Amino acid sequence: MSANKYQPHVLVLPEDDANRQIANGFQLKTSKVRQMQVLEVAGGWKQVLASFASNHVPEMRRSPHRLLVLLIDFDGNLGRLETAKANIPGDLTDRVFLLGVLSEPEALRGSLALSYEDIGSALARDCRDNTDETWGHHLLRHNEGELQRLRDRVLPILFP
Amino acid sequence: MIQRLYVHNFRCLENFELPIKDRPSVLLIGNNGAGKTTVALALQILQRIARGTNRVADLVKPKDFARGRGDVPMRFEAEVDIDGRVYSYAIAFDFPPGFRELRVIEEKLAVAGTAVYSRELSEVHLVRTSQDTEATFRIDWHLVALPIVQTKSERDPLFVFKNWMSRALILRPIPSLITGASEEETLEPGLLGQDLGAWFSGLLAYAPSAYSRIDGYLREVMPDFKDIRNPEIGKDARSLVVQFSNDSGRMALPFEELSDGEKCFMICALVLAANEAYGPLLCFWDEPDNYLALSEVGHFIVTLRKAFQGGGQFIATSHNPEAIRRFSDDNTLVLYRRNHLEPTTVRALKDVEISGDLVSALIRGDVER
Repeated sequence: MSANKYQPHVLVLPEDDANRQIANGFQLKTSKVRQMQVLEVAGGWKQVLASFASNHVPEMRRSPHRLLVLLIDFDGNLGRLETAKANIPGDLTDRVFLLGVLSEPEALRGSLALSYEDIGSALARDCRDNTDETWGHHLLRHNEGELQRLRDRVLPILFP
Repeated sequence: MIQRLYVHNFRCLENFELPIKDRPSVLLIGNNGAGKTTVALALQILQRIARGTNRVADLVKPKDFARGRGDVPMRFEAEVDIDGRVYSYAIAFDFPPGFRELRVIEEKLAVAGTAVYSRELSEVHLVRTSQDTEATFRIDWHLVALPIVQTKSERDPLFVFKNWMSRALILRPIPSLITGASEEETLEPGLLGQDLGAWFSGLLAYAPSAYSRIDGYLREVMPDFKDIRNPEIGKDARSLVVQFSNDSGRMALPFEELSDGEKCFMICALVLAANEAYGPLLCFWDEPDNYLALSEVGHFIVTLRKAFQGGGQFIATSHNPEAIRRFSDDNTLVLYRRNHLEPTTVRALKDVEISGDLVSALIRGDVER
């Protein structure tokens, strides 16, 4: 029996393997491991949106305690954020979050000289400590708006 | 934390070094027969020495030589960081013609590069310390010296190393064998988990506060868990009973009636509590995801990984996609063996070129090239 389905919980849908490893590192630093689940890699940002539409929209409507974080690469195109947001039904916008590296995680890893998992852990530490040492990196800074929503809704679940 | 494990000429491990230095948690993956469980067997030999098995024939046998090569020494070496000091233990065996069992040809324990004792064949040399003069004595070369040499105190390097190694958790539990019954207490559970009741008793006798960690974890994974008791059922005999309760009532179940997966939750709870109570520990768990529901595997693995981030070392093996995904390229090691005539090789996943998703590549057999 899964313990968290009837409590607030966070699913993370990563675009690719690099984002999955970042999410792994994040989860290792959360206080409530069981309230977060990293899902199978979707295989591309369009596949993230397709999986969201076909699998997660109906399930989220049945699971009011569920929040969903979509991890996508922006590939230098911030217009992708608006494109992706347009795919989120109005009744779910407050429970779906879109985050990602401005270019791609490989560039962030090179710039920070950290493993993907360590990047995820650093991002979690920022969330826990209410700092933006890593979130403030120029490849992540564009997430500021979503991060604020994350701080309001997701972080109280993972860092109560 | 193990900084270095080197094994030579033991089964499929030849000139084999496990690169796990400074890694709090590591996953070993690879095909059946690649050598993952043999790594556990090598650790188990060191653990059994530390726990007091000193007869060489009880530790290794002629059939354990890689491809029967008894003319080449079989060697086990471990470097372990305990409280910031590196303890190095090495032992080598050979099997001369005419012998019926292996013998020790070299053995050494050192701390921070300074020998505590060294040995060649039957001659053991104890190094002089501030308290003791140096000494040389002879022992049967079919006996290992480590369990025999007298320790002076709990600060004696011999005691520190033996205590750390003997308390390592090397696990391959078979839940159907675990009844929860016990007639003694231990902090040194066996491979299959049959003595879980004794481990529970020993852990709580050693650190009663460990119960709160056990209780906290079991409540997370089984929301109707109420408590676990260990009542006497006879002279010097106890048996675990687990109580559940919710709005509609309560029930008590003998431990042996729990499901296989629920018994694994209990083992996990004891691992977490033990690492806090008398750790930091080494925990090698061979396929921890066995018996677990798919929805639990990820939480189970992440819980263990997280617990050992604060101290100790968790090594797992797995074929389970969900367990594999809960590790990353930097802490996943790929063991590979081309065929039964060739030895195991090991590489960090980050050094292996993979196209696309790791699990898909594993299914395709494209990881080991």
